Amino acid sequence: MVTVGGYEWRATQAHPQGFYRVQASQLSTNTVYGATVLNRLAYGPTPDDLERVMTGQGAIGPEAYIFEQLSPELIVEDVANMHTNINWLEGKFASQDTLVTTNHASITDLRAWFTLRAVGARRQLLEVLLQFCENHFVTQYGKSFQFFDTYYDDSALQNRLATQLEYVEIEKWRTALLNPACTFYDLLRISVESPAMIIYLDTVSSRGDGTRIANENYARELLELFTFGVDNGYDQTDIVEVSKCWTGWTVSKMDLTNAFNPFATPQSGALSNTVGSWVFRYNSAWHNTGIKRVFTNKFVPARFGAPYTTKSYGTNTVPLLYELIIPSRSGTKTIQDGYEVIQHLANLPFTQEYISVKLCRLFVHDGFTHGYDFADPNLSPEGQLVRQCMNAWETSNGNLRAVLSAIFGSELFRSHSANAQKVKTPFEFVVSAIRALRTSVNGTYQAGTFTSDTDGYSLALPMQRMGNMLLFDRDDPDGYPEGAPGWISAGTIAERVRFVQSFCIAFGQNGHTGVQSGTGNDAGNTVCNPVELIKLKLPSSSWTSAEDVADYFLNIFYSSEGAGNLALMRQAAINYLNTNDQGDSSPFANLAVSSIAGTNYDTRVRGLVAMLLSQARFQEQ
Amino acid sequence: MQHLNIITRRGFLDRSFKTGLGVALSTLVDIPFVVKKALAEGNIGLNGKKLLFIFLRGGVDGLNTVVPVLDSAYNATNRPTLLIPQDVGTNYSDTGACDFPVSGVGTATFSYLNAIRLGNGFSGLHPAMKFLAPVYNAGQLAFIHRVGYPKQSRSHFDSQAYWENGLPNNKTTREGIFYRTIIESGLAERSPLTGVSFQSALPLLLRGSNAAMTNLSDPTRYDLMGVPNNTAGNLKADTALINSIPHPFPAKRNRDLLQLQYENLTSTLSIFAGIDFSENGNTFVDDTNSDGGTAPYHLFPTTQSKNGGYALYGNNTGKYVVDSGAYSFFKNLKAAALVLNKTDAVIAGTEFSGFDTHNAQGGVTGAHANLLQRVGWGIYALQKYFTNYADKVSWNNVVVVTLTEFGRTTVQNANGGTDHAEAGVMMVAGGSVKGGAYGCGPSDPIPWIPGSAGSMFGISNRYLKRVIDYRSVLGEIIRDHLGATQGQINRIIPGYSQESAEHLQFGGTVTAPLDSQNTQILGEIGII
Repeated sequence: MVTVGGYEWRATQAHPQGFYRVQASQLSTNTVYGATVLNRLAYGPTPDDLERVMTGQGAIGPEAYIFEQLSPELIVEDVANMHTNINWLEGKFASQDTLVTTNHASITDLRAWFTLRAVGARRQLLEVLLQFCENHFVTQYGKSFQFFDTYYDDSALQNRLATQLEYVEIEKWRTALLNPACTFYDLLRISVESPAMIIYLDTVSSRGDGTRIANENYARELLELFTFGVDNGYDQTDIVEVSKCWTGWTVSKMDLTNAFNPFATPQSGALSNTVGSWVFRYNSAWHNTGIKRVFTNKFVPARFGAPYTTKSYGTNTVPLLYELIIPSRSGTKTIQDGYEVIQHLANLPFTQEYISVKLCRLFVHDGFTHGYDFADPNLSPEGQLVRQCMNAWETSNGNLRAVLSAIFGSELFRSHSANAQKVKTPFEFVVSAIRALRTSVNGTYQAGTFTSDTDGYSLALPMQRMGNMLLFDRDDPDGYPEGAPGWISAGTIAERVRFVQSFCIAFGQNGHTGVQSGTGNDAGNTVCNPVELIKLKLPSSSWTSAEDVADYFLNIFYSSEGAGNLALMRQAAINYLNTNDQGDSSPFANLAVSSIAGTNYDTRVRGLVAMLLSQARFQEQ
Repeated sequence: MQHLNIITRRGFLDRSFKTGLGVALSTLVDIPFVVKKALAEGNIGLNGKKLLFIFLRGGVDGLNTVVPVLDSAYNATNRPTLLIPQDVGTNYSDTGACDFPVSGVGTATFSYLNAIRLGNGFSGLHPAMKFLAPVYNAGQLAFIHRVGYPKQSRSHFDSQAYWENGLPNNKTTREGIFYRTIIESGLAERSPLTGVSFQSALPLLLRGSNAAMTNLSDPTRYDLMGVPNNTAGNLKADTALINSIPHPFPAKRNRDLLQLQYENLTSTLSIFAGIDFSENGNTFVDDTNSDGGTAPYHLFPTTQSKNGGYALYGNNTGKYVVDSGAYSFFKNLKAAALVLNKTDAVIAGTEFSGFDTHNAQGGVTGAHANLLQRVGWGIYALQKYFTNYADKVSWNNVVVVTLTEFGRTTVQNANGGTDHAEAGVMMVAGGSVKGGAYGCGPSDPIPWIPGSAGSMFGISNRYLKRVIDYRSVLGEIIRDHLGATQGQINRIIPGYSQESAEHLQFGGTVTAPLDSQNTQILGEIGII
């Protein structure tokens, strides 16, 4: 008899003396792969996803799901029908050439809409990638709001103006990502031209004319956070040179007909009452027109190996030299300086490495960092995966889907190396909790037919309490942390558990009073009905079986954990269902099945679901 | 920043709690020496010392707080409506104890309307802060004047960020001094509560990517709900959660952290269950008849009836000790004090704002005066609380520090207020603090030069010039009070590792490129 970690294995000794080993049968790799896929390419599985991808008859399997999600333009998206707020909110957004008024969407509207899409979208990977863009090319609603302080005295209007800047950014990324040919350069360019970014990192007032010194903030973050990664192939001189290239990139109010023309003459005078829109404007008079020498005498290091160490970069004839010399230009032609910089940066090996690292951190696990020695024969599996991403990048000229395919097909991603190795951010946590219980009672996927739903607004306060995660308003240019230590402390876990408990309490019952935006309570208009879900998914003979109900929820919440691992939790779940609130035995089988709030059966099932979603395992991604 | 993790953390913890840290360390045979050394560095969180911070947001007008009464430039020409007048019967050049103008029973709390003689022969205290006199006279309060940093920013947003991240003129580092302090201590990996704030959101002081410290906007939330949300349901949920924590699962990257924090959660829940944060639990009172009256006041005025002598003297608003807008601040202050006193938390703090007095600042009475009353009574109350209600920590082991992003202009503006300036005032209080008036007068090591060409016009002919860097004050507190090593301080406040340029520890002249004004600063002043 052997005891390991609390578990016992017994075998009858019927064999001759000798050496033996314990053999265990493992889970199908597809189970692990599928769970990882649904937790990373999507904001966690819905019960329907699990059936369609993993467990149902004719399940398509994780590879088919990946293939499908990599081409969102081929997926029919009907999320706008899933909640009345979505269509209503989409009618409230102001496009780039619209005059913003106080009737347009505010920042709370934008957050609610973004959250609703994350909950319901068919194009899950697209939503995940949009949040990646948002959190990589960080801009801050609050900074834009402050910018408009100079021109307006109306905080409601300023709110909507700042919101427009965030919305326009997101929608441009969406359009780019729907294009199969989308490259990292495309995403970078959208960020560079975004008024929200121009304001956020102070380019908006950066001047290089005369003896003026350009503001370095954007140049530094462009290299450190958006392309190369910290200290990865550049130094302070490069920051100074690059900063000169952005002088003149500013934000002005233009006539609506000029909203897409950075060279047009901006409006002047008292701007608070004019009809126009705040957009990227290029002020060539502010530009530093001298020659800029970036990466002077810098060579791609040997650690990158072939082909990077055998090729030439830009217009350089000397191999490995990645210097960029921007000639002195004049007039509006000087706008090219900025574009030359990003064209040069976008596909250099440093950028390939760092962006691949960031994507690997998002999809695989948090243990990736730039700076690998790719020539090392003992290169770690993580280094090897980054190298595969870079290979895909190099051969496809930065095609995003090629890089993602390299990640999703990798051994690291398919195996236990990725599965359950990350922790959910507050956004991922609340959205996955709703999705975990969500199906449409009549199969129409129309508004009001879901067993688990939200109005979008009521999630903002819980997310704030879980560590101040305010979408679109991150004040730190390096984005919200991906890693667990940034989010997990006893206090923030308390908030996650309180949210989940409140979410599981029936609407109208004490602890979940359902006031819009939820002042004082936790879940507000985020609601679920787990009994409805059981009645749809289990045969009626199972509805009063503590074992069957416990098994069902364990399977949808913890699909990648084996029966051995879950044995204790399963027993605890069954005991929970068979115990009343006073702690006395109360067989689940004796309760009258009901989805009416306040009945014993409904409360008992809700309590079980709350308990299972409060576990540490559900914090994992 | 890379931080070292232990593989068998739980096993180590068990051993360390049972046998003491030293023995436990020696049992880690497979851990490299450098890890053991890092684990053993410093005493933050291990020496029983704690810190309570209060950020006064907006930029406190230091000149009307610790008043340079005998500076000829502090006059009615420069401050026609804001001037804190001298008491004609008082000789401010006398040295001795700080005056304490008690009001007794019959007069309003703040009926003394002149500068209170501080006793350093030069300065006075704004009369709204009269309750600081007993703390100051016990030698337990340090007023530190002319505190700033090089190339001082006059932007609230930026300057607050520098005070909080400990890196002047660095806008890119978004992690706080106290966050780095907690990280250096290693406490984030073992303690449920390390640094806690009680305000609307976690301040930058406590923020950072490798440890999620808690802001409790309402400490009564630290309490899980159950389904149903009643006593029995809550208990059933709590029990189920607690019982499930030890279920074994195979190792994954974050399971140790999750395990630890879930354990911390449940242990903190039981600790918090024993603390009454509610109004009913607010029974803390002074240990003497307050303000020369007939009975002790409540220490934490969280409601009108607990505000000074209001209820005691027949619902008399003249007997308030703080303004009626102060109640939520005192709820937070009380929570911070309770948490430091009843849990293992090392750093707690809160804030309030309103000090950005561009308009109608008021002099002896008015907006600024009302806010100062909170500071005065707050520090007095903390001294009494930690002395008389001490549990896990007593006043001798607590340091209270006030922070503010800058001071204000010497000459008042056309709207009866003052504008953003440079150097301001910090206050540091505690049972073991070496109290006194630092940087406050002409007998200071770097003297306060009176007159219209003096210190009050030292920068751009408009602003008080600094002689102390705020980082020197915080560095001394974190090292000599909380128990960091010098090596840790060099990381917590990176300016310390550039002593030859920054002069934070030993003082000196700060020159370009850091400071084009060639400012001489004192370095650490020896308050701990």
